[in-house]
Amino acid sequence: MTHSWTEVQALGVKAASGAGVPPAQALAFGAMVARHLADGGAETPIAAALRAPDSIVALALRVEKVIEGASMNASAVTVREADAGARALLFSWLSGLPCQTALTLADDTIIASLNLAAPSDRSRPDRVPLGPELQEQMQELAAKTYVPDSDASRSAGAGAGLMDLD
Amino acid sequence: MPLRPPGDVMRLARMGAMMPTRLSFLRVLLRRLCAERAQITRPVWSMTAAGHGHAVYSLDLSGHTYSLVAISTDLPADQRSDRVIATAWDAAFVLFDGVPSPDDIARIAENAPRQEAGRFSPRDLVLSRANKSVRMWNATVDALRAGGQPDATMIRDIGYLMRTTAVYGNGKFGIADRHVIAGRPGLDGPFAAEMLTVYLIRHFTLDLVQHVGQGRLEPGLARHLGIGNATGLGMAPFLVNHPVLLNNWMVARETALGRVRSIERLTDPEQAQFHALHVRAARHLSEWHVPAPDHNQVLRDLEAEWQAFQPHFDALDGPHPLEKLWQAAQAQSVPCQELVVALMLEPFGDLIDGLAECMGDPFGPLAAPFCGTDALRQAIEADWAWALTADYTQADACRRFWYVSAAKLEPRLGDRFAEPGAELETPLDIARRVAALYRDLPAGDGPVSDFLAQYPDHALAAFRVCVLSRYPYADIRDNLIAATCKPIDMLRCKLSFFGATKFDPKSDLWTRITLAQGAPLGDELTPENDDWWLPVLAH
Repeated sequence: MTHSWTEVQALGVKAASGAGVPPAQALAFGAMVARHLADGGAETPIAAALRAPDSIVALALRVEKVIEGASMNASAVTVREADAGARALLFSWLSGLPCQTALTLADDTIIASLNLAAPSDRSRPDRVPLGPELQEQMQELAAKTYVPDSDASRSAGAGAGLMDLD
Repeated sequence: MPLRPPGDVMRLARMGAMMPTRLSFLRVLLRRLCAERAQITRPVWSMTAAGHGHAVYSLDLSGHTYSLVAISTDLPADQRSDRVIATAWDAAFVLFDGVPSPDDIARIAENAPRQEAGRFSPRDLVLSRANKSVRMWNATVDALRAGGQPDATMIRDIGYLMRTTAVYGNGKFGIADRHVIAGRPGLDGPFAAEMLTVYLIRHFTLDLVQHVGQGRLEPGLARHLGIGNATGLGMAPFLVNHPVLLNNWMVARETALGRVRSIERLTDPEQAQFHALHVRAARHLSEWHVPAPDHNQVLRDLEAEWQAFQPHFDALDGPHPLEKLWQAAQAQSVPCQELVVALMLEPFGDLIDGLAECMGDPFGPLAAPFCGTDALRQAIEADWAWALTADYTQADACRRFWYVSAAKLEPRLGDRFAEPGAELETPLDIARRVAALYRDLPAGDGPVSDFLAQYPDHALAAFRVCVLSRYPYADIRDNLIAATCKPIDMLRCKLSFFGATKFDPKSDLWTRITLAQGAPLGDELTPENDDWWLPVLAH
């Protein structure tokens, strides 16, 4: 089944939040998921990352360091990652940044040139593929962020008891 | 002319008093439709005498054809609810990209009435639904069937035949993402597709009531029938979650105000226009009554204040007349000031309409990170001093918590000390987070990434500080989890940018509004008809 970009990104954010990832890193993870799947990336490393939320925080920090490096120095930043799955996610994460990025992948090394002042020129597809297993995993994690109804929320929710239908 | 500082503008009390302007999104869209002399066609009309069935409306906008597919159903009275938890509505709508085939219509007719439970395609641009104002609907049908016209007073007091209870865009439930249409002229502005949908729904409601009533509405009355909307908390977090967009809306509006304040002299016709607009605004206020006593009192106070402020409109023949008018307004209430802002922008389309092109956010935040924790601290002290003064351990400074309800996956607001779920709080507590970040910053300088490695929970606050340093109107400068926080102020701000009028708050959590009241009818989309700011009943 295919989905809109926004659906996949939003589900990625909620899944990461449900896994216990802090909000900023979850937001960035969601954007990465949409970019990664839109570019034909494998679902396996996403599923693995969601099972190990610390790895998502670590990936976010590595991206932060790349951006920090780019902001201080115009030359390319080199990132080495031995694990193929984490490397793929790192590549997609950098590729999905809102700024202009030029990435080169050689063996276990990503060479990133970022222009933080210029917007990304990457296009987005109309649809993003998302397999049922990953979707289910993400939905289960996302559900952990929802608050069940209570008597208090039902009586205090917007519009509760105030429906003067005209 | 310097812009009003964000510390003044981005306060909830002021945002909650904002009025629609000629930069509001529905107004921008209608201006374009009028400039292009758009023509609405109705290629499909399959309705029973009672008004149940489906219809398709199409129009060309800047080289693209868009169609509204409208599905009207027979809704039992006991199922009619404006709440987002409703599961059935009088009518459902999809704005379709192009002209739908019979198969497309059949697919939409199957899915649109199910709304969130349906599934949609990338050619479906917007999904919406609406309920009748039963009182207005029945009165109009009865009057038309009797060969007459509905009561003008009732039209003035209600203002619409149907009200939408949700208008979904940007990828929800499988519809097209925003980026699919973001580059198209006419739909490139914020919420342009949603506003086109709303305008076509209004057109449909007028058609439908005349079909069922078997008569013609007088144009003056029809024009004053807009489209209602009931909006709750679902809209509020948007302003927090889209900081660059919020910044761009505000910058455009404040830049427009700055340009107008700089005008050196007004011509005689311009002065006359200011007088006329003051009178129109006074009439609009006199026609704007709401049931809630506290909100109605605000309106009555504003009505009286507006009349008392009138003499300042007699002193517009000297140098820098609008700066003087603006300075005089500074002694008035915040609602009066915001009404003055909206009025001052109205006559100067040539000067400010181009700013509407800067109100989108096609790129996302392009904010370079701080080079070190010292710079981060300095930015907090410069831009967030207001956030550092609160004691967030006090109950009333953190009483509220935002969350997503499991029942409908919609934003809600709870009482941290009376309701379960605070541990699942949605991070709209930006002020508290920035204050916590500030407390934990090290005494010495160092890379922000090293700091965030130690404190990953502070990454969101660090990001917001970074964004605000580049986009000064990006954050609401109030504590959004304080007991005193009124979400209705956030709704008013956003809805005023949509172009809403006749705000009718039902509580601090939701409001009814009217859109497109006074807007040109479907056969009146010509340039001379872009004059419907703060509509008054012309009957």
